[in-house]
Formats: sequence, C-alpha cells, structure tokens
Amino acid sequence: MYNLVMKDLKLGVSPIFLVMPLLTGALMLIPAWIYVLVPLYFCWITVPNMFAGFKAQNDLLFTTMMPVTKRDMVKARVSVVVLLELLHIGIAMIFGIFTFLLYPDMIYYFFAPTLGFWGVCLAMFGIFNLVFIPMYYKTAYNYGKATFASIAAAMLFAGIAQWVGISNSNVADVFTGSRMDDMALQAFILVAGIAIFAAFTAIAYRVGFNRFQKVEAQ
Amino acid sequence: MLALDIRGVNKKYQAFQLKDVSFQLEKGYIMGFIGANGAGKTTTIKSILNMVHIDSGEVRIMGKNMAEHEIDLKQEIGCAFGGIDFYTRSKVKTLTDVIKKFYTKWDDTTYRHYLRRFKLDENKKIAELSTGMKVKYGLALALSHGAKLLILDEPTSGLDPVARDDLLDVFQELVSDGEVSILFSTHITSDLEKCADFITFIENGQIVNSAEKNEFVESYRLLHGNESQLRQVKERLISYKVNSFGFTGLIHSTDYVPSSDIKATTPSLEEIMIYFAKKEGANV
Repeated sequence: MYNLVMKDLKLGVSPIFLVMPLLTGALMLIPAWIYVLVPLYFCWITVPNMFAGFKAQNDLLFTTMMPVTKRDMVKARVSVVVLLELLHIGIAMIFGIFTFLLYPDMIYYFFAPTLGFWGVCLAMFGIFNLVFIPMYYKTAYNYGKATFASIAAAMLFAGIAQWVGISNSNVADVFTGSRMDDMALQAFILVAGIAIFAAFTAIAYRVGFNRFQKVEAQ
Repeated sequence: MLALDIRGVNKKYQAFQLKDVSFQLEKGYIMGFIGANGAGKTTTIKSILNMVHIDSGEVRIMGKNMAEHEIDLKQEIGCAFGGIDFYTRSKVKTLTDVIKKFYTKWDDTTYRHYLRRFKLDENKKIAELSTGMKVKYGLALALSHGAKLLILDEPTSGLDPVARDDLLDVFQELVSDGEVSILFSTHITSDLEKCADFITFIENGQIVNSAEKNEFVESYRLLHGNESQLRQVKERLISYKVNSFGFTGLIHSTDYVPSSDIKATTPSLEEIMIYFAKKEGANV
C-alpha cells in the first residue's frame, strides 16, 4: 500500500498540487471572505486535474500489471486524496490563525476561521469523498461525472451551511458571534467534523472497493 | 513443466466472445500468438493476467492457479502492451525507482546489465524513447525482477524491420538458458517464422490450432489448380480464392488426398491467417 501511495505521489500527482494548498490557504488572509470556498478549490482544481492525469497516463493498466491487490489500489488512492485534503485544511488552518492575528477586530458576516469552521470543512470533504470515490470506481478511470456530482454535493452542503450560519442567530453566534471563543464548543464541532469525514471516507472506500472488484482493466 | 496452461477459458461480451480457449506453453520456449485484429489476442492476454474476469475456465502459470495466486505469480511475470505507454513525461530512472519497490526479487545489477545491453539512457524521458527502446525498457524491467514468463501483447507492432529483427534476437537470447518463456502476440507473421517455437492461432475468439511451428504449417496445404479441379475439392477447402488462372485454396493436410494435377505447397503463416479470415468473412 505504501509503495502505491509513493507511486501516486512520485508519478501521478504533479508537484503543483502539493504546493497548491499554500496558494489556496493564503486566500484565508482576505479579510472576512467566504472562507468555505478555500477548501473547495481542492475539489475544483486538484481533483479533476489529478484524475485526468491518471487517465491520460494509463495508470489503471500500469498499476494492474504490478503485483498489487485491488484492495490496496483503492486504499492507496483514497489515502492520497485524504492526504491532500488534510494538507489543504492544515495549511489553511495555519493561515486562519494569522487571519485572527492580522485582523483582531474584524466583523464576520460569513464563517470566521474558528476551529468549528474547520469541522464544517472536514464534513464537506467527507461528503465530497462519499460521492466522488464510489462513482469514480465504477470505471476507475472516468472521472467527469464523479467530479461534477461530488463538487455539486460539496457546494450544496457548503451553501446550505453558510446560509444557516447567516440566517440562524444561534448558529451565527457560534461561527461569527459571541461563541467564537467558546473553545469547548468549537473543539466539539471540529471533532464532530473529523468523525463525519472519517466515517464518510471509510464508507466511500468500502463502496469504491466493492465496485472496483467488478472493473476490468482497460 | 508448463509455463502457461490455459484450459477452457470463456469470456462473453456483447459483440464478441472468447470460446473455450485452451493452449499450453512449455517452459523455455517462445510461443507466437497470432490472429487478425479483433480476433481475441488482447482479451486472451488480459484473461491470462486476470485483468478481465473470465466467465469460466482456468489459467495456470508455472503450475499455480492465476486467480488464486495472482500477486505471487505477478512477481514472476513480465508483461508489456505494445502501443500503450505509461507516465511518458517521467524519466526512465524515476519510473524504475517507483516500479522496483513492488518486486521482492528486484536485482539492480541485472537492471544495470540490461540498461547497457539495450543501450538505454536512464535520464531520458519515456516519451523520448523510440518504440523499440520502450519495448526493451519493458523487457529490462521484467528481467530485473526475475520474470520467468514474459507476456507481450504486440511488442513488435510499430517497429521498423531493423528494430524488429533486433528484438527477435533478444527474445531468442532470453529463452536460450531454458528458464524464461515468452508468449507474444502479433499479426506480423514473419516475426514468428524467425523466432517462435510454437504457434497458437486465434480466429474470432476461438483457438484454431496450437502446435509446434513446423507441425503447425505442415497441418495445412495450399492448393493451386484450375476450375474443374476446384469442383473436386471445394467442399473440403477451408476457403479459396478464384483468379484468372484457376484457384488457390487452403485445406487441412488430413483432408488433402494427393491427386495427379492439383499442385500443393506448404502455406506460410500469413497465408493460413488470410484463408481463415476469408472463411470467417464468408460465414458472416
């Protein structure tokens, strides 16, 4: 499995996608922006480009020829996606700390980059994975429909979450108001987000693997 | 010992089907797998490698069932698909560094030996290699992880005559110690006349014949005669062509009764392929 992850990182994932989190993360420095857009750049840019590369380079046939199990092939690919997602979130979180330091008195209309906000972002990535991975592994090379559907699902979740965050005063209080400093609550939302992300990704992996077993290498 | 033993493989698609494909390759020999485009060569090879799910039948490699021991056996198999490239913008060195990690018996000394033998430059990108060099790179990789069975799908397609001849020499050299076996598919039959020990011929998803090369060609006769002679043998011919001088037709040696005037010659592999293809065309 480790060798397959390294194969993807050395051959399949262009170095630009490892640097991209620095660029998208820097968007966190825009004062009071719609920060939920920041992790979405991963879905919009990295995923389609990366999977287009796998398809163009005949990665499915290349990997199938080697002594690896189908289970490891799926596990490794999901691990690479998760790794990049966590890289995007982790770096954006660091930029988010600077956002608070640079603009201590900022009034937020959209989500502020609190711990709880990152929980929401992780839940969004969980939804993205839940749609993308099972759809992708119907063929293990066609990524168009899977990308469209998963981005739509992630954006829908982000839009609804942000709308609730504005229109519901209790939620607004947590993410942009007086309870932003309630660390226990913020940490709880983050942990809940991590749990959703982990659970949805695990389900996505299982469904993806089951579908991949029926796939014939083209 | 059998390097490859395929028995009763069936695989059905909507518009094509492999029907009861069976053939065996002895260890230490080269088998040419011939057939027209679309005859089922690549599907058979993918079935051998467990890349497609066969409906029934069994594939055994070096005595082990492929479906049950796929991962172990893939350590001992080298395969290449002609015309399909992988990670062409990567350097040879980068690709090798990734691939070698998957093989427990990888030997760097052997790899270096074949790089020199094939004059491969590690710092070149895959896209910069000629078609022949790509095939040789694939062979270098396979041999460096100790592959005992090479399964090559159309490795000589797209090569110029010099590169083809060179590659065929390499094939013969590889099997000379009796350890390595090669199955390679092609529709360029002259390649096989030079280096194959056995021929397996597939037509429309069915194995027509699998035999030692000379035995294979000797099992057919190419008849040349006039129109009245055609009437005598027409029913027994596999197929025939009529021209202004009379006819030329292919017949099974067992169906051929030496008669006075009909001239019979030993057909080339190409002629066997063509006349079988003509038979299929006539049946459509």
